[in-house]
Amino acid sequence: MKQKDTQQQDSILFAGIDLGTSRSSISASNLTREWIESYVGWPKDFISLQVVGKPVLFGSEALKNRLSLDLCRPLEHGVIKEGIEKSEDAVKEIIKHLIELAKPSPEQKIHAVVGVPADTLKVNKLAIRKAASEFAHSLMVVSEPFAVAYGMNLLNNALVIDIGAGTTDFCIMHGTIPSEEDQKTILTAGDYIDEQLYSYLTEKYPNSRFNKNMVRQFKEKYSFVRDVSGEIHVEIPVDGKPVIHDIKNEIKRACESILPAIIETTTEMIARFDPEFQIKIKNNIVLAGGCSLIRGIGEYLQNALKEYGPCNVTHVENPLFAGSDGALKLALDMPVKYWEPL
Amino acid sequence: MFTMIPKKRELKMRNAILRGIYEDNLRIIGKHSNALSDKAPSFLKKMFLFFFIVLLAVLGHWNYQNLSLFSEFPEKQITASLITQEPSSLGTELQQLPAEKSVSPSDYKAFLSGPDIPLSRVFGLEVKTIMIDPGHGGSDSGTAGKMGTKEKDIALDIAKRLRERLKKYGNYNVLMTHEQDSTLPLNKRVELARLGRADLFISLHLNYLPSKPINIIETYYFGPSSDAKTLKLAERENIGSQYGLSDFKEIIMKIGDKLKLQESKELASSIQKVLFLNSKKHNGNVYNSGIKRAPFVVLLGVDVPAVLVEVSCLSNREEEIELNTESHRENIARYLQAGILDYLNKGEKSYEAKRHTTAR
Repeated sequence: MKQKDTQQQDSILFAGIDLGTSRSSISASNLTREWIESYVGWPKDFISLQVVGKPVLFGSEALKNRLSLDLCRPLEHGVIKEGIEKSEDAVKEIIKHLIELAKPSPEQKIHAVVGVPADTLKVNKLAIRKAASEFAHSLMVVSEPFAVAYGMNLLNNALVIDIGAGTTDFCIMHGTIPSEEDQKTILTAGDYIDEQLYSYLTEKYPNSRFNKNMVRQFKEKYSFVRDVSGEIHVEIPVDGKPVIHDIKNEIKRACESILPAIIETTTEMIARFDPEFQIKIKNNIVLAGGCSLIRGIGEYLQNALKEYGPCNVTHVENPLFAGSDGALKLALDMPVKYWEPL
Repeated sequence: MFTMIPKKRELKMRNAILRGIYEDNLRIIGKHSNALSDKAPSFLKKMFLFFFIVLLAVLGHWNYQNLSLFSEFPEKQITASLITQEPSSLGTELQQLPAEKSVSPSDYKAFLSGPDIPLSRVFGLEVKTIMIDPGHGGSDSGTAGKMGTKEKDIALDIAKRLRERLKKYGNYNVLMTHEQDSTLPLNKRVELARLGRADLFISLHLNYLPSKPINIIETYYFGPSSDAKTLKLAERENIGSQYGLSDFKEIIMKIGDKLKLQESKELASSIQKVLFLNSKKHNGNVYNSGIKRAPFVVLLGVDVPAVLVEVSCLSNREEEIELNTESHRENIARYLQAGILDYLNKGEKSYEAKRHTTAR
């Protein structure tokens, strides 16, 4: 029996894919773990093709060459725009690229579980399946926060808050597969912080030249809520000369701007359960997604939610791979008979 | 022993979750569970198969002997699930229409001011060419939702779907003011309608209500309006018309054209009714803003019956998400088609009969 299992492992590559609004990752049963930024770019014309030398570029490479490319971030707002823009093609390219990064052997079949933002799961299930059908032999689509919960063994009485770039997804686990009512998405997430930070900085330093990319980097490097010791200084050119700017207050204001909506949605979701379960869920809140790395965010939420009774907020260890690791665990646990060929 | 029980419970929970994911994914592709149906004993399957074959044989034999029995069933139409009349008025509206005897040939004034008899029917005028005008385009994106969905993209996509549907229906020559994402001034659209000898002009747009998180549907035809909100909307939609005041004078002379006004109102009413009633089936929070008069340049310039339909509302987040799905856009095109066909075929006995049969 064991031998048969090993044979199956060899002939099938199980993969967990996390299609994020900002970053996408893959964890595979051959122990590969890779990630890319969720950008896809196609050369604008034949000259651009000569310049970039590839028919399609991904992640940071696409961002670097963005002036020569038609750039697409397909899940930017949490859903795919079917049939209108290049979003569907971009999703297809990202899945293909991630699977290639996992380096399956030529004879191996791919059985994949794909985690997507909760709103994508509601409206684009079929589009995701279509996008992956060329590259996987069998496929399951689940919501991203659910994949995180499964990976962490949080099957019952837990709330996962996945604060990504385009969306913040909430998922309550209560011993069954979460229904649509157990999952909620709001648009106040990392991109919203970037927008706020950009406007605060341009307001405070009207003569300095910022761009969205710079602002995103500041956020990723310095983000915090509540308080941190020391100053936050960055060098920004003013009339061509580098000038030191103090951005600590602006970073704090921008990062804290997403919290009221998160707190409101959290309390609203928990309140739907009966009081006994409310206490259990409140003591098992897990933050995931890139913005869970904002310094102090867990403590801030815990303090804010204490108004409604005791609670405990923790973080996933590795937000970048928590979704894909969970999806891989699902793929490995899934009984053979459930894998239907596409 | 005691530690075994929670582990067993957890395993059961995990299995239920895995099975839930499997079934959920099967539902996406519209399949039934093979793995789960394997649990049925094989003798039951064989028995089911045997009875199924026997049933097929009996039915086949019956069909052969009673061919006329099947021919009595009406052909299934694509509009089978469409609501084309409000339930309360179903069947009564047509009865309420006054018969043609109410128009006296000697009373010319009464004839012209009679609100209920479309002049196009009196003169036996037919609609041959339909011009669809997707609102905005190119550098003019129109409104945009919070997720970045642009009015021009949605309007163009729905317009293309509507064109295909009307073409499939039959005898109409269906044109579009533009098929690519290109900038097209409003006067050019009007000119295209004239050059294409359009008999009907339908402009498609999407609403945006920043102050209210609701979804509304409304349909406009040309006419003066004192409503500040409508005038504001007209001002927005009229940007880039490139018409001078003198052009307006000449065109305004034609407002007296009763035929155009009368038919535009009927067309607006038919589209609004079908679009709203069917949209409400999917989304209970959609509001019926009804038909309205408004001074849209694009409606003014076209000599033939013309309407501007605000098919949906991009400021509503739920609706914006839905608009990004092909199925929702296809449904809107379908309802628009049904509204147009209802208008075009009003009074046609065979169409009315078919519609009543399929609506039942």
